[in-house]
Amino acid sequence: MSTVSGTSGSPRSPTGDGGAKPGESQTRPRKIQPIAQDAVPVIEARNISKAFGATTALVDVSLKAYAGRVLALLGDNGAGKSTLIKILSGVFPPDDGELLFKGRPVVFANPAAAREHGIATVFQDLAVCELLSVTRNVILGREPTKGFGPFRWLDMKRADEMARTALLQLGVRWERGLEERGINISGGERQSLAIARAMYFGSSLLVLDEPTSALAVRQAGRVLDHIEHARDQGQAVILITHNFRHALSVADDLTVLAQGRVAAHFRRDEIELEELTELVARVG
Amino acid sequence: MAADMGKGAPAESKPAEKRATAGVLIGEALRRFLLRPESTSLAALVILFAVFSYLSPDLFPNKLTYISIMAVAAELGIVSIGVTLLMIGGHFDLSVGAVLGLTSYVCVVLLRDAGLPPLIAGPAAVAVGAMLGAVNGILVVGFRIHSFVVTLGTMLIWRGVVIALTGGFPITIDIPSIFRDTMSGPLIFGFRMSMIWFFALGGLCTFLLARTRLGNWIQARGQNEQAARNLGVPVDRVTIILFMITSALGAIAGVIQVARFASVDALRGEGMELQAVAVTVIGGTLLSGGYGSVIGTVLGAITFGMIQVGLVLAGVPGHFFRTLTGFIVVAAVILNTTVARRMARSKPLGGFRRGNSETDAALAEISISKPERDETAREGGS
Repeated sequence: MSTVSGTSGSPRSPTGDGGAKPGESQTRPRKIQPIAQDAVPVIEARNISKAFGATTALVDVSLKAYAGRVLALLGDNGAGKSTLIKILSGVFPPDDGELLFKGRPVVFANPAAAREHGIATVFQDLAVCELLSVTRNVILGREPTKGFGPFRWLDMKRADEMARTALLQLGVRWERGLEERGINISGGERQSLAIARAMYFGSSLLVLDEPTSALAVRQAGRVLDHIEHARDQGQAVILITHNFRHALSVADDLTVLAQGRVAAHFRRDEIELEELTELVARVG
Repeated sequence: MAADMGKGAPAESKPAEKRATAGVLIGEALRRFLLRPESTSLAALVILFAVFSYLSPDLFPNKLTYISIMAVAAELGIVSIGVTLLMIGGHFDLSVGAVLGLTSYVCVVLLRDAGLPPLIAGPAAVAVGAMLGAVNGILVVGFRIHSFVVTLGTMLIWRGVVIALTGGFPITIDIPSIFRDTMSGPLIFGFRMSMIWFFALGGLCTFLLARTRLGNWIQARGQNEQAARNLGVPVDRVTIILFMITSALGAIAGVIQVARFASVDALRGEGMELQAVAVTVIGGTLLSGGYGSVIGTVLGAITFGMIQVGLVLAGVPGHFFRTLTGFIVVAAVILNTTVARRMARSKPLGGFRRGNSETDAALAEISISKPERDETAREGGS
């Protein structure tokens, strides 16, 4: 049996691993590679602070996201996760500290600037236009056109091709037609669509905000597959989640935020579910 | 011809068509028709045509009647096309009637006082219209005020300006016959030129909406502004352009009316903003934005003209026009929101339920075989 990517990330055991090693706690055993000595993070936040009026959202937060690795960002409500990803995706700048993109300091004036650097953020529930077709949703903002001079119109054939390719690259079997409207596709499919879109248009960093929170088990599993898929294709992924199991099942590194600070940072093989749960309960 | 075999039935999956029975074919064709936003206005048009033909069999089905209907439909329709695009983009424009009045005044003054030829005065009036629209758009975008309120204000301002400038009296001018003929003069078969402009603009804006980037952005803006913004759609620019298009179309209707009446008066275009909303709604555009059809609006405008002319011919007192229009608007909204929404969620009938054959072929080629997932691994947690 071959996976689409097959290069890294062995598939989870189909039998379930409740009976596997006692410490592994329902997540599959996986070899986490240490970060290479000379690896440059795709994005690095250095001592980021941010306050909104009297409310301090982030204090001195640093993190690094590497190509081909998934960084899970954990924490309670109000821990500063959303503020952090909004800074990473250019929604607003930090008050203090700096961002480095592939080793060079950058300032994102707006979300478009971040996107030009290949930072694709999939926000929690703002992914899909309900009355546009799947194709139109995929190409939105990057519509292929044909024509001459100022007279340009949509190249719908090419657009369908792009949508199909984007979904296939993610291994999504789109059973229905690409003309299906957004209103008819499920929450999981919406996430698939948004992730496919983000990856297709060449992101180097994929930021996912709670992609599994509103999903049924099977759909959540599919989204986690997508994350592995993106990772295996050499993207850096930052996954924001409340769900420790989801985080542990795909992450290579985990950062726990609490009250705007980095409370803990682990490599995946340094921590187990029980410890993590306990830690977050304690610091949060 | 072999290519025409699939006409009426969708051509996406050939084997399925062979399996489908006639009943399923008709059912599926009906389902797809009801999915279209234009279905309401087309139904209204056909039903009203039948009713009026029954009420006044001698007068209604008659070329002169059609000419009158199209004369009413064209001017209102051109305004409505702009309003439709704007409403699909999620905005309202109450000022479009006042823009029509003010640009008509500008056109008349340029022709009469400045002595400019119509070829310059007409486009100049349209340009002024676009500028007035830009003012609306910039106010909406810059101050994040709802377009309903902004355009309510500008409607009052521009109407006030027209009343002040005309002094409340009609201004008449001599219109060169070539100008009158090209804008609104009788054409071959007696139909007015304004009908040609109406259909041309309808076609152009249908293309704009369905087949251009701007059209895609307009729809996205109306459906999910934040998503569009996140994906890099220049939402604010789209909004300003939309207001400019709407007001420019209002100005075009104004120039046509100047050519037809050879005059302008203080109340020119008054009430048209709401008629245009009514036409747009009859045409299947959602009041909440995001979805609609210019073709539906074209049909809606013809429906509107038909009611107006048909009631007169049927000898019904004039005030029934408003009442009947009101009923039709409410019925159209009910149909569009309940039936259309249910239809949008409906599944294709048996035989049409297959996925896209090209996708299947592509999938077979790549042969994705994911390992069985361990779903339990992801269960639980919160």
